Amino acid sequence: MSGDLVFYGFALLTVLSGFFVVASRNVVHAAFSLLFTLFGVAGLYAQLGADFLAVTQTVVYIGGILVLVIFAVMMTRIPRGDAPRRGLDRAVPAAILALLVFALIYMVIVGTRWPERAAGAPEATVAEIGTGLMTTFVFPFEYASLVLLAAMVGAAILIRERAPADDAADADDAAGEGEVRS
Amino acid sequence: MSVDMLQIPDWSDLGGFLPETVMFGAFLLALLGDLVVRRRPVVPFAVVMAGALTALALSFAGLDAPERTILGGLVVVDGMAAFFRILFSLIAVATLLVSWASEEIMGRSRENKGEYYALIALMTGGMMVMAEARDLLMLYLSLELVSLSSYVMAGYMRNSLRATEASLKYVIFGAVSSGVMLYGLSLLYGLTGSLTYAGVRDALAAGAGDPLSLLTVCVLLLAGLGYKIAMVPFHFWAPDVYEGAPTPVSAFFSVGPKAAGFALMIRFFYTTMQPAVDRVDWRLLIAVLSVATMTFGNLVAVRQVNVKRLLAYSSIAHAGYLLMGFLMLTAEGLQAILFYLLVYALMNLGAFLFVVALNNSLKSEHLDDYAGLGFRSPWAAAMMIVFLFSLTGLPPTAGFIGKFYLFAAVMHEGWYWLAIVGVLNSVVSLFYYMKIARTMYFTKAPADAPAVPIAPLHYVTLVLLAAPTLFLGLYWGGFKDLADRAVQHFTAL
Repeated sequence: MSGDLVFYGFALLTVLSGFFVVASRNVVHAAFSLLFTLFGVAGLYAQLGADFLAVTQTVVYIGGILVLVIFAVMMTRIPRGDAPRRGLDRAVPAAILALLVFALIYMVIVGTRWPERAAGAPEATVAEIGTGLMTTFVFPFEYASLVLLAAMVGAAILIRERAPADDAADADDAAGEGEVRS
Repeated sequence: MSVDMLQIPDWSDLGGFLPETVMFGAFLLALLGDLVVRRRPVVPFAVVMAGALTALALSFAGLDAPERTILGGLVVVDGMAAFFRILFSLIAVATLLVSWASEEIMGRSRENKGEYYALIALMTGGMMVMAEARDLLMLYLSLELVSLSSYVMAGYMRNSLRATEASLKYVIFGAVSSGVMLYGLSLLYGLTGSLTYAGVRDALAAGAGDPLSLLTVCVLLLAGLGYKIAMVPFHFWAPDVYEGAPTPVSAFFSVGPKAAGFALMIRFFYTTMQPAVDRVDWRLLIAVLSVATMTFGNLVAVRQVNVKRLLAYSSIAHAGYLLMGFLMLTAEGLQAILFYLLVYALMNLGAFLFVVALNNSLKSEHLDDYAGLGFRSPWAAAMMIVFLFSLTGLPPTAGFIGKFYLFAAVMHEGWYWLAIVGVLNSVVSLFYYMKIARTMYFTKAPADAPAVPIAPLHYVTLVLLAAPTLFLGLYWGGFKDLADRAVQHFTAL
């Protein structure tokens, strides 16, 4: 089946590059292999007929977030050379735990009777999603903007440099601030 | 998803959503106000305070209202939502008062004071929505809004190494647990084909899902929800975050998001997972986690010498007590939880406020520095004793009544072993709460111990919290009535 082949191709790409993201001790290599992971996921979406998700995954994650990640990695100072090699004392328990989780999820996926939908020709989902976002799901849509605003305000609080002018204003304000606070 | 559950929201829906709208409006206004009137944190403070008081006043009307879904059927307003709106507005007001006189927040070198108050408004609104979600999508979004704001508030003292570490730990733990929870949600959606609680319930009642997959869903979801209420084994962040964050923020975290997490869990598990009880015994799962949570919290608290850390472990233990009432699935258990959350908010905020008030002059939360406080600051220490008695559950305080209702609800359902574990745990907790009392009254302060002036606003707030903690221990009827009314129309029981 050519469909199966496509699926296994994308799945293999996702899993292998995902493993490399975790295992690589060079942060630039890790960031670049994340590109393939995200691309593989986009391929899986496309194969499932989720066209909108596939495009969004490509545009937002690969085109936006990943490029930002790579820029951040390149522009920040990274200690020379690779990260220090870690011993097996952590890798072994982590690997066992990961295998157990995989076994559990595998059993769940294989052992469950999933409700199935009759497979038809895939239809474009963009119009449906657009209508949904503006009608039934308009509230979560707006609510997500609050979540994003919170994230933006938070980022500004945590990384904003203190302007030198503010220090001067601080001194001027010392008396005023004292009376404001009880 | 059946079509009749889909509604198109219109403006009239906002009428049932006023307290949240007010809080989100206060958030935006406070941000704007802070930009326009620079370096006067009183502006955002006043805006948020006005918002919280307005929301409080608006919330009482809904207590007796029957269930109503609004905003596209994704949000439900009923008595319980009204109860949590009242609770969160009260917590916000108390947190604002505590923060305003706290050096950790308002100290000369602190920045972003305006944003701090704005974030309190945002989180309060977000917690209200957590208590009202009736859709997996809203469940996740509301949780994420509160989490994101918490990370920022934990790292507010950004030139403090401890606070930065606390914030970072909170972010990493939080991101992982919400990722795990999302996976659980996706499994649940795959099993039931619905995002709304009602749709999930119907599908589960019709037999969707088998024991293993449902158990996996429960465990994965509990990772995300248990993280919010600091339930063992998802509690690791709590002691470090409570210790590293500014104390007013720790006070807020220990009552606000915890109560919101419980509200979310109640609505989700009671509404959707009840039909699945025959396939996955999640009540037993939660009973085991409840025992682990309270026992672990209490036993580790015994060894703590940092009062903030001690209170963190105590708040883990309290999550364990509340979980006991949660798994009863009865109206009585639910009323007991709501009443206990109210009492817990009063006494825990009070205990943390004592730490904030002392931190202003002592600059320390170490137990040894509390020596002789009973004589150095007699009134505040006396009020702390009230909070400690109440946290233990000793009469004549509110904590006793709260625990009494909680244990009674557990016994009525025949879970005697659980109730016995709870009582034994309360005995352990007596030991470490009284350790604080003993240090304050029976350890002599060193001769060079600094004076401990307490800000007038902190005195007032201490009285505002201590008075009801005592009063509710004697005349609890009115407040218990509040919890009873909130539950009367809760249809999921």
